[in-house]
Amino acid sequence: MSTVKQAEMGPETTAIETAKSQETPIRKLFKAQAFQIFLVLLVVIAIFSALAPDTFAQLSNLRLVVQNASILAVLGVGMTYVIITSGIDLSVGSVLVFSGVVSATTMRAIGGDDWGTAVVGILVSIVVGIVWGTFNGILISKAKVPPLIVTLGSLGMALGLAQIITGGVDIREVPSVLTDSIGYGNIFGAVPIISVIALVVVVIGALVLHKTKFGLYTYAVGSSEEAARRVGVKVDRHLIRIYAISGGLAGLAGILSLSQFGTTAIAGQSQTNLNVIAAVVIGGTSLFGGYGTIFGTVVGLFIPAVLQNGFVITGVQPFWQQVAVGAVLILAVYVDQVRRSSAARGGSTNFWRALVSRKKK
Amino acid sequence: MKWKKSVLGVLAIGASAGLVLTGCSGGSSSGGSSAGAGSDGYKIAFIQGVAGDEFYISMQCGIEAAAKDAGATVTTQGPEKFDPTLQKPLVDSVVASKPDAILVAPTDVKAMEAPLKAAADAGIKIVLVDTTVDDPSFAVSQISSDNKGGGAAAFDAIKKAHPDGGKVLVVSVDPGISTTDARAEGFQEAVAADSKFTDLGVQYSHNEPATAAEIVTAALQKDPDIVGIFAANLFAAEGSATGVKQAGKADSVTIVGFDAGPAQVKQLKEGTVQALVAQEPATIGKDGVAQAIAALNGDKVEAKIQTGFTIITKDNVDGDAKDAVYQSKCS
Repeated sequence: MSTVKQAEMGPETTAIETAKSQETPIRKLFKAQAFQIFLVLLVVIAIFSALAPDTFAQLSNLRLVVQNASILAVLGVGMTYVIITSGIDLSVGSVLVFSGVVSATTMRAIGGDDWGTAVVGILVSIVVGIVWGTFNGILISKAKVPPLIVTLGSLGMALGLAQIITGGVDIREVPSVLTDSIGYGNIFGAVPIISVIALVVVVIGALVLHKTKFGLYTYAVGSSEEAARRVGVKVDRHLIRIYAISGGLAGLAGILSLSQFGTTAIAGQSQTNLNVIAAVVIGGTSLFGGYGTIFGTVVGLFIPAVLQNGFVITGVQPFWQQVAVGAVLILAVYVDQVRRSSAARGGSTNFWRALVSRKKK
Repeated sequence: MKWKKSVLGVLAIGASAGLVLTGCSGGSSSGGSSAGAGSDGYKIAFIQGVAGDEFYISMQCGIEAAAKDAGATVTTQGPEKFDPTLQKPLVDSVVASKPDAILVAPTDVKAMEAPLKAAADAGIKIVLVDTTVDDPSFAVSQISSDNKGGGAAAFDAIKKAHPDGGKVLVVSVDPGISTTDARAEGFQEAVAADSKFTDLGVQYSHNEPATAAEIVTAALQKDPDIVGIFAANLFAAEGSATGVKQAGKADSVTIVGFDAGPAQVKQLKEGTVQALVAQEPATIGKDGVAQAIAALNGDKVEAKIQTGFTIITKDNVDGDAKDAVYQSKCS
């Protein structure tokens, strides 16, 4: 058992898990909330596949679902880090739009339709995102303003500034090399490039979170900022970096959105932040910090995406998707609560067992 | 013992999945708006610009009626907001359900072009209703109102109420929507042609009545002598009327709305809005179905159809113009 492995379990569970470290990996897999929600996803997919075998259960459809979830996946990685530190980042949607606007303005100023212009645009978008993230991080860690307020403020500021720059008029001059490659291009014939980019971000995000000192510190800061500080973690610097990552990924998502839609879509993305937070929470990351996985976030993203796609294909009013996702969200947080309160009493961290033992009392 | 608990766990997961299942089956019986019969008829999908808007509901009614006559089935879907980032996944899902034809009101001239073109490449006949895209060459037909003419008609209504001229403002939706842009353009051209009127420009409400109200109260703060406001769509008109009321200028400002939903008609009857430029959404829908079926049968199609307007005022709302009022539910 390496220390990094233990950190995945979260703070209050670490001691318990150490005592039971003889458990097999398979049993542990079954207990992870991310895995349980993954089973729910499989059941949802199975139901829609049975209802619409020749339309839903097609590779071409799966491809579209994955493609449409790609931008949210990139944002979800950053949001998972932020929420593990028991923070929140409401500004991702606005930072996405702002980065896209600055990038599109820059590319328009340079002119040209080649990769030279596009690369500048990509770098500008990411850098602008990192700047917003760093701004958030400094206010949160140094000025001690709560993350909810800081990012609510930067949500409005980024959107407002995007509208000031453009006068509220969407910019539609996006180099066609971007729309043809990142936006709608494929590799190996049928794999969307935008999804490959998202997958790379997800894999790097997961490796850094679960296998490096940086990831370990992230969990430590989220479990107890004070404890992390006392064992020598530079908490302030770490928080600034986490928010900078979230901002940078929002910047990357900005260029992805620009490539896919061919417009800055200033009025769009108004619910992106909440959708991403919902996905992270559905995936089992605790809003109280110190617990969560990137895998869970990816599964949490696909539940709303698959529900919407399936409902449209089977001809159900799309409004039902909101109802279903809302129910799954509340259920996911309830599971987290039961697990936490059980762990706090030194009981089992298995949700179903904790639920049963709680009823007995 | 331990295994038993694992089994219990798996069972409980099954139970929660079952909940999702009931949610689905419950939905499919009550939701889903399909009309018409005939299992061998064409499958037509209608994608609205935004769900729950009377303009698109009236269009849906026209589509369902026309499809029923032609023996085709219709499914209708719409995004929660008039937003391409919400409409694109919807279009992709509809395409995956493999309809014969799609009638769609694109929410952005650029963003919706690629996904709709992909649908056309997959062999689905695309008919653009109401709004359009930059390069609509993949579509078999485009059907919309002559929006520029509608904007000019709105100006005439203001001119009638204020023959001496004055300042006029346009409250539109978002830049880049072909229909509202054309309405504003038609209105502004008509204003420019009349030296007695001063154009205060176009403001964008983002399809939020609250935003439109804020814009109008602020504009009246700056220019208290505004005589006319042209509200380019349903929500803009609703918000503009609220804003004028808040500023206490209901007596001096003439608001001309575009579209004629139940809310506008109520405002018209109450005297908050003085005139409405009504489109013919049901006709757009009917023509759309006719063109889609013609294309599917390999018959001749019309590439572009423009439908007309009805000007509704307090005087004719219960008379001649009664049928021009939009429906909030298909009869």
